[in-house]
Amino acid sequence: MRSSVVPLVPMPLSPEQAEEMLQRRIKKHHVAIILLHWFNATTWILELSTGAALISSRLFKVAPDWYIAMFNGLFGTRANLLQFHIALGMTWIIVFLPYGLFGFRTYLRGEMLNLTDRDDVRWLIVRTLRILGKTDEPLPPQGIYNAGQKAFSMVVWLMTPVVMVTGAIMAFRLVSPVLVGWAVVLHFFSVGMIVAGLVVHVYMGAVFPEEKPAFFSMITGTVNELFAYNHHFKWWREMKLAEQAWERKRRPKDEAVIADVPPGSQDTSSEPPG
Amino acid sequence: MARYAMVTDLRKCVACHACTVACSAEWSVPAGHARTHVRTTPLAGSFPDLKSSPHVGQCNQCDRPPCVEPCLSGATYQDAAGIVRVDGDLCIGCGFCVDACPYEARFISPLSRKVDKCDFCRPRIERGEEPACVTTCTAHAKYFGDLEDRSGEVHRMVFHEGGRRMETKTVAVGPNVFYLGRPEHLDLVLTSFPPRPPRLLTAGKALQKLAWPLVVGAVGVSLLGQAVAFFNQLHKGEDDFEE
Repeated sequence: MRSSVVPLVPMPLSPEQAEEMLQRRIKKHHVAIILLHWFNATTWILELSTGAALISSRLFKVAPDWYIAMFNGLFGTRANLLQFHIALGMTWIIVFLPYGLFGFRTYLRGEMLNLTDRDDVRWLIVRTLRILGKTDEPLPPQGIYNAGQKAFSMVVWLMTPVVMVTGAIMAFRLVSPVLVGWAVVLHFFSVGMIVAGLVVHVYMGAVFPEEKPAFFSMITGTVNELFAYNHHFKWWREMKLAEQAWERKRRPKDEAVIADVPPGSQDTSSEPPG
Repeated sequence: MARYAMVTDLRKCVACHACTVACSAEWSVPAGHARTHVRTTPLAGSFPDLKSSPHVGQCNQCDRPPCVEPCLSGATYQDAAGIVRVDGDLCIGCGFCVDACPYEARFISPLSRKVDKCDFCRPRIERGEEPACVTTCTAHAKYFGDLEDRSGEVHRMVFHEGGRRMETKTVAVGPNVFYLGRPEHLDLVLTSFPPRPPRLLTAGKALQKLAWPLVVGAVGVSLLGQAVAFFNQLHKGEDDFEE
């Protein structure tokens, strides 16, 4: 979209505009975040598969006997299986600690689900209804992350520290046996809640057609502008305003940058709403 | 395969605690804990017809051990010789098995913070020796052997001399420590130190009755939702995809 007027709400695009926006790429993820994401994904697959095999009690098991037997065979002994689970879990904690301690201020802000934001609430409802084929209503405009991604991110932000702390309590049998017993319960519960969200996360990322550019953005770090416009309009608008502000600063005042815009409309539309 | 059992003759036992001392020395059992418990019943009856009996409690290596089922990781298991063993490398010290044992034979060691209990001195058996408590018993009140060895003294005591299991109508899990003694003394021991019904720790109950259904339910609902969405997607076709 080459027009200097940044719309407040998504406007219908002409085929030429859409084609042009499809060609432009916007940076969405830092390379560190991409690496961290795939490190996390790999760790989760390994920890989940070994964790499920570790619960062999008839009272609590989640995996069938053949699955547990397969992992016992793969690792030789169940003690090795436990050692692997603990060692990888500790590696995961160590890698994530700096991110958790220093990164949360930068990233958590964009990932917070705001239930007082009508667009977020509507998005969750409309998205669900659209998937179920119950409505054709367009999705409300979203920021850099949509309400679904933010909802999952809230579950992850809440539950990950629980997984880490209870895991460490069990691995080193900290404080008292009673605490270790309860750590088992909390570890299981918090992992379970994340997995419930993970099922949706993986489906939306890897299977659902509308969100495929978002999946590839976790590899390339970029999305095309059209996807940003259609799926993350508020973010797109922010980027556009920042881009214009930068251009205004760069070019001399007297150059007619905004000649095609009626006087006055540029300034008002550039202001963030509210 | 052998089926190991122990017989304690309460008529000979003098409650000297030598078995506990030998056991603790053999296995470096931390102070304040023990794998065997020597106790004496309170006096019963009225003067001058009084009775009392010593009793040596330990892990009974039960035929149907209630401690195996709640063990999360499978650290507690019953081996081929019927001995209930703990794989220390697999134990996380959650204490679920401690509460399950009707004989209070298990404890969490404050040193390793893992579960500890009598295993009939399995390493000594493998070396061809008898358990430490048996060799050390000052009154020769303890016997150890293979129940299936028909010429052995343990077999004779259990099957021909009335060796009794300490079990009640409600708690009958097949303990393999048998007791010899006068019937009224054995009754007194059983009423004084009855096995308590196996129970699941509160955390275990929370895991079984609350966390497990919640997690399986939540993941199930997610999977079901995705399945519906997926079939919808297949039905609709992939036409509105932008790249």
